Amino acid sequence: MSRPTTPRSAEDLLMIRFGPSKTDCLASIALASLFMASVAHARGNADNGKELATKKYACVSCHGATFNNPIDPSYPKLAGQHYDYLRQALIAYQKGEHPTFGRANAVMAAQAKPLSGKEIDDIATYLSDLPPSLVLKR
Amino acid sequence: MIKYLPSQLRFVRSFVTPRAFAGVSILIGALAFTDLAIGQGVAPVTAGAPAASAPAAASTAASSTPPEIVGDAQRGKVKVATCIGCHSIPGYKADFPTVYSVPMLGGQNAKYIESALKAYQKGERRFPTMIATARSLSDQDIADVAAYYAAQR
Repeated sequence: MSRPTTPRSAEDLLMIRFGPSKTDCLASIALASLFMASVAHARGNADNGKELATKKYACVSCHGATFNNPIDPSYPKLAGQHYDYLRQALIAYQKGEHPTFGRANAVMAAQAKPLSGKEIDDIATYLSDLPPSLVLKR
Repeated sequence: MIKYLPSQLRFVRSFVTPRAFAGVSILIGALAFTDLAIGQGVAPVTAGAPAASAPAAASTAASSTPPEIVGDAQRGKVKVATCIGCHSIPGYKADFPTVYSVPMLGGQNAKYIESALKAYQKGERRFPTMIATARSLSDQDIADVAAYYAAQR
């Protein structure tokens, strides 16, 4: 009669008898969805975004020093705007002629064209983290 | 309200003491006055359009430039029905072409909101939902809606 020499935990014994339990499956699903959620909420680098928005691409020269005070009232305030909207707007300017979500705008097309995907993420992160004057009301 | 005041007073008099009746009459009188005041306050808004367009028409006759449309936040308030279903829900996201939050509009520059809506009307911005919404608005509607959102703090 042979017995296992190393003591097994109750969970190990259950695993031997019944295979992976319901709890194990739920736990893996929970872990997987946690991972996916963190990917969905992944944002760019705000410090690099600041460098890009205030220096390299000089967004600041039209949208204003605080990004709440554009030099022309027909330009938008950007500070505190939603990260994923800013991102989507820049992509829309890049794809100016796209039939269903492009935005044809000469100035913004020129500004958005050279941006990489990472640069868009970084700029959107920096802008959305700034103190806003925008509000969400009915 | 004014029309029914005498009968209301007679009704009240039928079951209260004279002293209490005096108090109630004052109260009803005050309510009637408030009603009247509100009525007067509302009137200029509804009557405002022809009054405002009269001088505008005169200036059009004098020069060929179209009259400048001035947004009215008060009027905008009743024109945002098609905006609030998306733009007033915290955390609301569009799902086209990817999932992303719709922009916050409160406190935004009025001229920017106007130019964005006109860009949708002209098809320069190609997001289908906003094209449909923008094309349902007149120039005056656009100015009013823009004034309404710009005034939010």
